[in-house]
Amino acid sequence: MTTKKKTTNILKKIGLYTLLLIGVFISVFPFYWMFIGATNPSGQIFSIPPNLTPGDHFFENLRNLNETVGIWRVMMNSLIITLVFTLFSVIICSAAGYAFAKYKFKGREAIFFALLLAIMIPYHVTLIPLFQLMADLGWLNTYQAVILPNLAYPFAIFLMRQNMRSLPDSLLEAARVDGAGEFRIFFTVVLPTMRPALAAVAIFLFMFQWNNFLWPLVVLGSSDMYTLPVALSSLVGLSRVDYGQIMLGTTLSTLPIMIFFLLLQRQFISGILGGSVKE
Amino acid sequence: MKAWKKALAGTLSLAVLAACGGNDNNTEETPAGNDNGDNNGGELSGEIEVWGWNVAAASMELAIEGFNEIHPDVEVNVQDIGRLDLYDRLTVGLAAGGAGLPDVVLVETDRIDNYMSEFPEGFLNLSEYGFDQYEDKFAQAKINSMKNADGDFIAAPWDFGPAAVFYNVEIFEEAGVNPDDIETYDDYIEAGIQIHEATESQLLPIDISQDDAQFRMMMNQQGTYYFDEDGNIDIASDEAVLAMEKIKEMRENDLIANVDGWDGTVTATVNGRVATVPFGVWYAGTIMDQAPEQEGNWDIFPLPALEEGGNRAANLGGSDLAVIGATENPDAAYAFVEYFTTETDPQMAALEEYGMFPSLLETYEHETFDEESEFFNNSAIFRTFAEISEDVPFANYTSDYARAFRYSADAQASALLQDAEPADALREAAERIANESGRDINE
Repeated sequence: MTTKKKTTNILKKIGLYTLLLIGVFISVFPFYWMFIGATNPSGQIFSIPPNLTPGDHFFENLRNLNETVGIWRVMMNSLIITLVFTLFSVIICSAAGYAFAKYKFKGREAIFFALLLAIMIPYHVTLIPLFQLMADLGWLNTYQAVILPNLAYPFAIFLMRQNMRSLPDSLLEAARVDGAGEFRIFFTVVLPTMRPALAAVAIFLFMFQWNNFLWPLVVLGSSDMYTLPVALSSLVGLSRVDYGQIMLGTTLSTLPIMIFFLLLQRQFISGILGGSVKE
Repeated sequence: MKAWKKALAGTLSLAVLAACGGNDNNTEETPAGNDNGDNNGGELSGEIEVWGWNVAAASMELAIEGFNEIHPDVEVNVQDIGRLDLYDRLTVGLAAGGAGLPDVVLVETDRIDNYMSEFPEGFLNLSEYGFDQYEDKFAQAKINSMKNADGDFIAAPWDFGPAAVFYNVEIFEEAGVNPDDIETYDDYIEAGIQIHEATESQLLPIDISQDDAQFRMMMNQQGTYYFDEDGNIDIASDEAVLAMEKIKEMRENDLIANVDGWDGTVTATVNGRVATVPFGVWYAGTIMDQAPEQEGNWDIFPLPALEEGGNRAANLGGSDLAVIGATENPDAAYAFVEYFTTETDPQMAALEEYGMFPSLLETYEHETFDEESEFFNNSAIFRTFAEISEDVPFANYTSDYARAFRYSADAQASALLQDAEPADALREAAERIANESGRDINE
């Protein structure tokens, strides 16, 4: 009886692990293929049967990529824009979410409703007026033109507000009784308890800005100001496309997202565990 | 406690300050007046920016040196922007009254009408600067697309896309097909069947639901297009229906490789899934780039005619230069456009380096056209393309090109994939275009 149970258990496990392995293969293979493409000359990608071994063209592709788009400068642009944006946006959005969740003021519901409406406006509608505004300010081709318009990101505010609502009021009152000011409460009491939510929002905002394409494309005029997606897109012309360069560029562009995610993931998990232990 | 307030306020105001800081564009240089009398050079000065994509941008870059010999004080700055990205930025910029735009911009021929009708003041009227004098120097089929309703030049013609059939020599030999025997599409289909039986290759690649390039070339051959010369919808004409019927016949004989977009076309070409690719001259560079090991294995023959003895010349693609209406330096911008499009040297450099095929007729006398290409089976392919380009009929793209293109591809998909009658599918496309554009359908 017990041995039979054991064998079915083992069989179940084998089945489960094969299923997981297939899942891993399906999700990892595109990345592997991208890496293959990045280390081979352009024409190799089309060969039949497909070439599945890394080639020796990595440095040549890198050199070409640097010549055509100035990859290091472009990476720097992307990093500066994305990090500055993420930092300020997380502060602004969480502060706004906190206010919506915990302060009672006139018109709160109306403003929040307007915010929800703002989520629904397609980006393209605001594109031209916003561009006109940037042109009038003389901000075309600057970092702030990319960073500022999206700092108060409606969806992130919404997300933070939903999370802040679960914060017990008694905690805030206790802090007030102890004589803490509102800003101190926000930074030393509210934000630390919100770590998982902050990490989620930060990852979301980071990815949004890192992959943001249309707006940077339109406001960043010169090639030395390009962000990665814009620069990569410029590699695709009418009739000649160097796929080796593109694959290498995409490989490089996925790295920071992975790193950022892995860094914050720890916050994420420890935050969740911390919560579960308390209750 | 108040320290927090101060810190936050401080950071925010810093951010605002930083935001206001980096405003340093367009320091307009006014170099010392260089008025030493000669009326040719030295008068123009300043900086102009040019937008283009890929090899077209590189071609313009090549021309800067020669241009600066005539106008040493004009600094030309070429930006390489992806083709579709360029249109996004151009559209937004023109909608915002020309903000953030360069002085000169590359536009594909089939898009010019659309920009002219959406933004009548968007581009400079080149006729006012004297471009009319070059009217006879270009292929006539090209010239007509450059003009607005008043007959003025809005863009300067540059590269042309005379079309031919690129074919894989090895596959043709294996199947025992002689390309010289292919004169009509019936011959072409017959050859395709023979090839498909003898080898595993199909005849040609088409992205059936996305692109109708083959259909457009066949309409152009017969002197029509989505629209006729008067701008009436011609997509349901007898000529167009005949073209779609031939394509359907290819499909029924399993000769079409239904590929996915540009990448799919290139893949099918390189790995021998197809024996031929009917395309514009610019595809030569792609094959050479993506299949360098197939040197000597490619050649071309002219497009087959729809009827015995019919026209075998068509155009696919091509681009032109326009000057942005809001430019601050129209004289220098025009001078660059004029130099680049009407002088032989920059045109030949673009052809030799990047395979950009000129529409400036006098370049065809150049010996480069007679050079035999090792990659293309030692044929003088550029001579063939030059001969083709002289017989290309005019295609009226109109401001509704994008709409027509979409419905035409839909019609192709329903005729080939859902087995609709070509005449019915095209009729439906014509009616939809009429609905949206308010144009009349030719009966």
